[in-house]
Amino acid sequence: MKKEIGSFVVGDSTKCTGCKACELACFTVHSRKENPVGKTVGTVTVPVTPRLYLTKFEGGCMPIQCKHCEDAPCLNACTKKAITRIDHQVIVDQEKCIGCKDCMQACPFGAIALLPVSKGGKVVAQVSGETRVYASKCDLCQGIEGGPACVRVCPHQALRLVDPEAEREEKNIRAAEALLLTKNWR
Amino acid sequence: MNYFVKGNPDLCIGCRTCMIGCVVAHEGKHIFEIDPDSYTFNPKLHMVKTAKLSVPVQCKHCENPACMAVCPVGAISRKGNAVVIDTDKCMGCKSCMDACPFGAINMVPVAGSSQADGSEKVVANKCDLCSGIPSGPACVRVCPTAALTLVTEEELDSAMEKKRQEAARTAYREMYPQK
Repeated sequence: MKKEIGSFVVGDSTKCTGCKACELACFTVHSRKENPVGKTVGTVTVPVTPRLYLTKFEGGCMPIQCKHCEDAPCLNACTKKAITRIDHQVIVDQEKCIGCKDCMQACPFGAIALLPVSKGGKVVAQVSGETRVYASKCDLCQGIEGGPACVRVCPHQALRLVDPEAEREEKNIRAAEALLLTKNWR
Repeated sequence: MNYFVKGNPDLCIGCRTCMIGCVVAHEGKHIFEIDPDSYTFNPKLHMVKTAKLSVPVQCKHCENPACMAVCPVGAISRKGNAVVIDTDKCMGCKSCMDACPFGAINMVPVAGSSQADGSEKVVANKCDLCSGIPSGPACVRVCPTAALTLVTEEELDSAMEKKRQEAARTAYREMYPQK
């Protein structure tokens, strides 16, 4: 019985220059449906809400995004059941999310941020007049043609879409071939 | 130093008895008596078959384990002479799977567990050198062609010492061919 597992995108701090093209591309492809966001800066009338976060640290910088965990702490922590697994990916339902922040605290990567909800080129307000927010995290560009936009736009190929099981099998073969070289170790 | 199990592609015939031995050691002999669909068969080593060879690949129990370094929840630790995963702590982020250069870690469902959406927990799975099993690694014991060996620190050290002495003797013979 083979269990299929979710893919994810990882950044490479040795290649990343911190240009944030990934963040912008992420925001753009996810906003087109609800907001009139085009391909030029002038068309952006709503807050930029990426689903991955360029992170600077003492060793350099790299984008941090969701690993689509198989026993996802965010999914398990969400009382509203706003986080579900669809086609092996962990997905937040923006409509269901009430901004309780439990998922943020449960995630060990900091892959979730509370960001404003925008529709029709405007931020959405609550009854109080304050901006409605939601838990924003990578959905691996589900339903978006061409796959993860961050991977596609990175000018330094610092992002990689990982198919963990396929990569594991390839690494297994290399490890097996290496055993041929070490078989007479005694 | 950590110990590890090593396969010899010249001896391995690809029969997968090691995989069965591994599951029996970790699940118990009852797996032969129950409905095969009622449990998940999750060996901790992976049989590789290519045109050139057949051999199982398993964790090398690295001295500076990449899997241990990347685990965000501290679920991987050194225990005795092995690197082991605490499956209760693991939340299946796959970072270790991505970090391991040998492909020794895979993700497996935990029977009887459940997540908030009702599906089974899926966690990292890898060789634990049969930690806690007195007779040692089951794969080594069950292999019909003795293609698997448990490499210990003592064995590796003595093999290295033997090779150094051999190298020294060879060099000496080259310097003083008359002796």
